[in-house]
Amino acid sequence: MSGVPFTSTAEPALPPAPGFWNSPGLRRFRRHRLAVFGAATIVFLTLACIVGPWLLPYTDTFIDIRNRFAPPFSGPHVLGTDPLGRDILARLLMAGRISLAVGFSAMAIAMAIGIVVGMVAGFYEGALGAALMRFVDAMLCFPSIFLLLAISALISPSVPSIILLIAMTSWMEVARVVEAQIRSLKTREFAQAAVSFGASNRRIMIRELLPNAIAPIVVAATLNVAHAILAESYISFLGFGIQPPTPSWGNMLESAQSYLTSAPWLAIIPGAAITLAVTSFNFIGDGLRDALDPRMEGQ
Amino acid sequence: MIAFLLRRLGQSLLLLLIVSVIGFAILHLAPGGPMSQFAAGGDMTQADLDRIAEQLGLNRPLPVQYVEWLWRMLSGDWGVSYRDQQPVLHIIASHIGATLELMLTSTLLAMLIGAWVGILGAIRRYSLFDSLATVGAMIALSIPTFWFGLVVIYVFSVGLGWLPSGNRYTMGDGSFLNQVHHLIGPCIVLALVSTAVWSRYMRSSMLEVVNQDYIRTARAKGVPERQILMRHALRNALLPMITITGLHVPTLLSGALVTETVFTWPGMGRLFLDSISYRDYPVVMGILMFTAVLVLMGSLLADLLYGVADPRISRSGR
Amino acid sequence: MNKPSTKTPGLALPALHRREVLALGAGGILAASGLGARAQGKAPPPPPAKPSGQVVVGLSQEPTAFNPLMPGIEVDETVWMQVFNTMWLAQPDGSLVPDLAAEVPSEANGGISEGGLAWKVKLREGITWHDGAPFTAEDVKYTLELINAPGFKARTRVGHSLVKDIKVTGPLEISWRMEKAYAPYLALLSNTFIVPKHLLEKAADPNTAPFNGAPVGTGPFKWGTRTPGDNIQLVANEKYHGKGPYLEKAVLKYVPDQTALYAQFRTGQVDLIIGTGIPANFYAEAVKLPGRKVVKIPSASLEVLMPNLEHPALSDKAVRKALYASINKQAIIDIVFYGLHIPTESFMPQESWAYDPSLPKQSYDPALAGKILDDAGWKRSGSGVRMKNGVPLEFAVSTTTGAALREQCQQLMQQDWQQIGIKMAINNMPAAVIWGEFYTRSKFQSLLVGTAFRTVIDPDPAHRFGSDAIPAKSGNGANQMQWQNAEADALMKQGQETFDPEKRKAIYQKLQVLVREELPILPIYQYAPVEGYKEGLIGYLPNINARQNTWNMGQWYWAK
Repeated sequence: MSGVPFTSTAEPALPPAPGFWNSPGLRRFRRHRLAVFGAATIVFLTLACIVGPWLLPYTDTFIDIRNRFAPPFSGPHVLGTDPLGRDILARLLMAGRISLAVGFSAMAIAMAIGIVVGMVAGFYEGALGAALMRFVDAMLCFPSIFLLLAISALISPSVPSIILLIAMTSWMEVARVVEAQIRSLKTREFAQAAVSFGASNRRIMIRELLPNAIAPIVVAATLNVAHAILAESYISFLGFGIQPPTPSWGNMLESAQSYLTSAPWLAIIPGAAITLAVTSFNFIGDGLRDALDPRMEGQ
Repeated sequence: MIAFLLRRLGQSLLLLLIVSVIGFAILHLAPGGPMSQFAAGGDMTQADLDRIAEQLGLNRPLPVQYVEWLWRMLSGDWGVSYRDQQPVLHIIASHIGATLELMLTSTLLAMLIGAWVGILGAIRRYSLFDSLATVGAMIALSIPTFWFGLVVIYVFSVGLGWLPSGNRYTMGDGSFLNQVHHLIGPCIVLALVSTAVWSRYMRSSMLEVVNQDYIRTARAKGVPERQILMRHALRNALLPMITITGLHVPTLLSGALVTETVFTWPGMGRLFLDSISYRDYPVVMGILMFTAVLVLMGSLLADLLYGVADPRISRSGR
Repeated sequence: MNKPSTKTPGLALPALHRREVLALGAGGILAASGLGARAQGKAPPPPPAKPSGQVVVGLSQEPTAFNPLMPGIEVDETVWMQVFNTMWLAQPDGSLVPDLAAEVPSEANGGISEGGLAWKVKLREGITWHDGAPFTAEDVKYTLELINAPGFKARTRVGHSLVKDIKVTGPLEISWRMEKAYAPYLALLSNTFIVPKHLLEKAADPNTAPFNGAPVGTGPFKWGTRTPGDNIQLVANEKYHGKGPYLEKAVLKYVPDQTALYAQFRTGQVDLIIGTGIPANFYAEAVKLPGRKVVKIPSASLEVLMPNLEHPALSDKAVRKALYASINKQAIIDIVFYGLHIPTESFMPQESWAYDPSLPKQSYDPALAGKILDDAGWKRSGSGVRMKNGVPLEFAVSTTTGAALREQCQQLMQQDWQQIGIKMAINNMPAAVIWGEFYTRSKFQSLLVGTAFRTVIDPDPAHRFGSDAIPAKSGNGANQMQWQNAEADALMKQGQETFDPEKRKAIYQKLQVLVREELPILPIYQYAPVEGYKEGLIGYLPNINARQNTWNMGQWYWAK
């Protein structure tokens, strides 16, 4: 999680021209080959995880003891089997469902919290804004893994609680981005105009300011999914993650270290899946940033 | 300047107070407690467990415990570990060396490689090298650190036998070379992310400088390109880079925790993990406060240096 | 084994006690498993005249508590055993050998009289503390009093709280009275390390005395240095009163992960692995390592499924019988644990003198399990889960997160039970949570746990099985499954008050039959952990009656 370069989104970007979805932005995105590759990979992974388990002869929990520790590409189990003889491909795809779901859900919750906090803090400033942003700063004083571990002590490990845990530790950067955006946007003419028309604060925030801040929010959201998938793998690796028999990419790696010599594929396959998914999201995020904010092109 | 410093210090103290409340609340509201480790064995009775919990003062209301902790903290007493009865500061001090060794060497490594890749990328913008470096940095940022550690162990320790699979040194052999040998693996693993971050920042920082007027002027005067880059551009690009290092402290600490776990490195990360799982509240709080101070110092340093480097930077906000 | 190869920061998952009582026949087991100096082939070379060399002992948990009277976990005993002594010490064959005492008190030698109410101990002459001060009966008196001192964080007061009227009757003679006859106290004292009065009484508060960070004892090794998070170094006490020490230095090296620890054993960075041992999945590979001896050692720890007897389904004895009949023990042991562990029917280790070998053997029989449930009125419902009076036959099994082999074990059970209409959920939690109130206040539905049901090395299980020992009800004891059985209570009371081993044996055998019938715990296997050491290390001797196999480290040395 350490790797996600939130910092570059933290600077307020110029509001893009309205209706960017059908214009230069999208074209720039399409020109960004890595981003297209990332998007294609994610679509492929998502489809594989949704459809794949239906097509395989094994389920993720079917225990086939006689075939345990089968190496990949050596028999009926395409990617081999784990210590209980369960099919790794089936587990990988089921785990993908969980990990991607964790990634997207955690992102959605983190975005919701971050946007609300950032919007309120940026719009009202003053004591309320300062208090909110100091809270954000305080949360950012904890190195992310330290915070994840501390909060993981609070919850019992299940899919929803892990989603919440990750969301609770990843909304702060979003709040910062949104706060800075809103603070600069609200001094602009169109916002001032809305005020003079007597629009309510809520209306101004949601109808006028938020849509204009959407570019960095979309970028942050993409990077947030990457962050969440990584975070899930970290807590699982450290033993506080989603519990078996539910597979996730992270907990497939959990005991892999002890089989590193005898069955290295147990570590390599899920790790590669995580890296692939996270890289793809980062590519998309990068592409989006270039597409939505021409000023940052080339960085 | 001094007013700015004072205000930042005041803000930092306020942040530390909030951090301590959040940390304390999370820890003490979590289920389980320091008695769990003893309950599992079955030879201590409930009466024994309850008595010790009471002797530790764990039965009092949380606000009372917090205020007492804060009061002691303000008088410089970080408390005593439940596990080994040692003062918390003493425990942190005895683990910080290993962590700093790892963090500093890997930062150095990351700076060297990152700067090199970044500069080269900036010079040959859009070349094959530049594209590869960009993609490589992206992938480096996406690899789970612990998994990369496992791969390094698998390849270099299990497979090739070049590197030890863990520890800071071989027992009974405390020689410098032995320590360096042990440091290589974790250092590479921890440096991975930093290298990627450094190379990207270095590249953009260089590009920014290169496009500035005085460089253009120098170029127009016919100063050799190499000299322009090394003399003028690099120097001006480096200063803001130092600020990145300050802001990078929390990331580095997180990475260190994971790396230490994979390589059984006896540093703060291990201590934190152990202390969390034993619910050694005083030590966990101590580490949280200590890292918060480190993080705040890092960002303060970054701000100060940034201000020095570019006086136009506003000191309001943030 | 309890803490298999994971990154999980480890609480001692349920402790592994390797202590057993006064066993009469345990020597046979040792010989059978090819252990002991005898089994090492030719006669070992003689020990060096002067302490020399060092040994690096690899531990997967970190010893952190050094005052042997304060709370600590098993691994802390590796230090206590070297630095301190007890009045007597349990040997691998179960006999007690006097250490600080001149002889072990018994009714025969008059040390214990008035039916167990009066105790008298003579201490050995010429023992000194590491700082040179003489060891006297005052130290023993101080130790026993400190344990009961109100403000002191004593580890446990079980047994000690019955001690009254401690009198020092001579420099090396001490006597006391017991509030009631309590036979297990002899065993408890074999695990009660004596601390120096002259150092601890100086401290304003013994809880925070400097002594606790740099202990001074009478043992074969003196406290050296500690690098927290990494290692502890002990140095030879050349004035030791017993045999040895032959090693100049002993290093206790903490490697926080069993896999990593094993890797370091393989490469020779640590000389031996004890305690949590070598993970089962490396056993086959480890025995082939050149220059290493790898042994399965006897352990008194049991892996049990611990039901909460207040759970609506698990409270039914028929359900427990059906569950027990449909656990494929052999598959679990063979597949998950590579055939290492030993299936068991008793709550007592098989090496114990009170063990009953004639208990009925469990066999994997899902059809029988189904029949038991049918007969008891648990009928299959539409969803496939059995029901009785509106109560579904479903429950959760919890264990510590990160225990990879236990997780596999759970998944095998889950699959077996599902086939006979029992729905089992897996609900694992971090150690600090599971062994908190969840366990001590009986908030679990069932647990998969490695634990022991004895009092130190005595067979008395009263604090685990007594109906007055349910923490959720009386706030005392460790009967977390909440078993209440009048017959068992009576047997355990009788056992505590009887000093004659033969009579006690009969009592505890009756209790084992009762526990096997009622199944307040479902015994799965007795641990057989794997330890290993470098060839050339002489003197390593597994002891089921010691908590750690560093119990005789003073007598270790390297063959030259």
